[in-house]
Amino acid sequence: MVAELKELWRFRELLWTMVEREIRIRYKNSVGGFLWSLINPLVTVLVMTVVFKYLVGNQTENFAAYILAAYLPYMFFQFAVMDAAQSILVSLPLLRKIYFPREILPLAIILSNFIHFVLALAVFFAYLLVVYLIHPGVWPFQITTLWLPVLLVVNLALAAGVGLAVAALNTFYEDVKYIVGVILYLMFFLSPIMYFSENVRYSSALQGPMGDLVYRLYHLNPIAALATAYRKVLLAPQAVYVEGRKVPPLPMDWGNFAVVSLICLAVLVGGYALFNRLKWRFVERP
Amino acid sequence: MSGSPAIVARDLVKEFVVSHSGANSLKTTILWFRRARVETLRVLDGVSFDIARGTCVAVIGKNGAGKSTLLALLAKVYRPTSGVIRAEGRIAPLLELGAGFHPDLTGLENVFFNGVILGLSRKEISRRIDRIVEFSEIGSSIDAPVRTYSSGMLARLGFAVAVHMDAEILLVDEVLSVGDLQFERKCIRRIEEFRESGGTIFFVSHHLDTVRKVADRCIWLKDGRIEADGDPAEVTALYEDRMGR
Repeated sequence: MVAELKELWRFRELLWTMVEREIRIRYKNSVGGFLWSLINPLVTVLVMTVVFKYLVGNQTENFAAYILAAYLPYMFFQFAVMDAAQSILVSLPLLRKIYFPREILPLAIILSNFIHFVLALAVFFAYLLVVYLIHPGVWPFQITTLWLPVLLVVNLALAAGVGLAVAALNTFYEDVKYIVGVILYLMFFLSPIMYFSENVRYSSALQGPMGDLVYRLYHLNPIAALATAYRKVLLAPQAVYVEGRKVPPLPMDWGNFAVVSLICLAVLVGGYALFNRLKWRFVERP
Repeated sequence: MSGSPAIVARDLVKEFVVSHSGANSLKTTILWFRRARVETLRVLDGVSFDIARGTCVAVIGKNGAGKSTLLALLAKVYRPTSGVIRAEGRIAPLLELGAGFHPDLTGLENVFFNGVILGLSRKEISRRIDRIVEFSEIGSSIDAPVRTYSSGMLARLGFAVAVHMDAEILLVDEVLSVGDLQFERKCIRRIEEFRESGGTIFFVSHHLDTVRKVADRCIWLKDGRIEADGDPAEVTALYEDRMGR
């Protein structure tokens, strides 16, 4: 793996050029290309806010911000993995002609999605500021926001590991991306994105030692742990309504986050190793 | 110029796994698990040669004789099943019509991208960009997206990038049919310049006339083995004779 990384470093300029190219293509065809891509999360959040606040009757304050804080990272992960899945297949004619480290293709896609995600986070903070100016309440930046870079690195490692593995497998089995799509969809509901981790912790169905175990396992899922972490780090602690009762917010569980970070690192190493095992056979696929 | 060869191949073997079920989904793989028929195809079967610097080598042979596989092995696209192939210095494969060009980007952006993929740094490309654009005869269209280009323009641009790489070895699959007669002459002139400066050319062709005109050495591949290797006039004559012409 060290040799592969050295080779990748030697080709770093190609990687940057490809990232730049991806971003250019993404924003080229429409002047408001970046704004267009924000419409999906914004509409989702709007719909969710209306549904939860007025139809379900959840009284959590500034609910939209809490959804966005978890939904934007999930969107990044989803797009990075699904785009990476196709990256090798669409470039096969090029791969058949010329040598360069194959991992550059999925990595460029994942990195360009990451840059897009960081830009979306900037818009997120702008949104918080606007909310603050209209309803002065909690200042939009927390001291814990300083942890954001750590979260971003862990999130990127997870996306890169899964993206590399899926890109390699999807090259040989083209239905892998459908299976991954279904798993991602399940992950969306198995993670505290449209609800809070407190909803799981204080759920009346999950009390006692069994409930504790389920909650632990639930938060070992990196996507769930990251969703909770983004919320705890970016936004003020907020009381949540669980089954009609108002419950105090749980503190950020850094112990769990450390374990999840190690899992993400393992996913990255494993995904890259799998990719390297398969990459010489991409051009020879039947 | 040292005496060491530019390209060395020793007992080069390349096998491909051919699947008759054409399984490329998990579903088919699982459903057809018992019936999967897999066959290994030996495309190159022990090929050895040394090529001196500054030589122009032509590879001829029937379709499926292993010519393109040999070229791809040299470009490091494949890994040999066994044996070695080694090239000294930078290799520039002449990309097929716009392979590696993205339709939505401008010609200029694509030149940068193509150059970086071929191993140049952006600084090095900036230094050559004027020469590349001039050579390609694209003119002001260089700032238009390449989806607006004709196939001739794409080919000229691709060729212009490849020959301005200052590579030591140029790989060419099939004869240069990149545009009008005038541009073809320019390409041949440029290739001659390249050879005079000590560059090595390795090309695959079906056009025996071109081979006789351009090459210094000719390798005839037959069923993955070298059938004949030597003077282009003799090898092509032998080839034509054996093909019953």
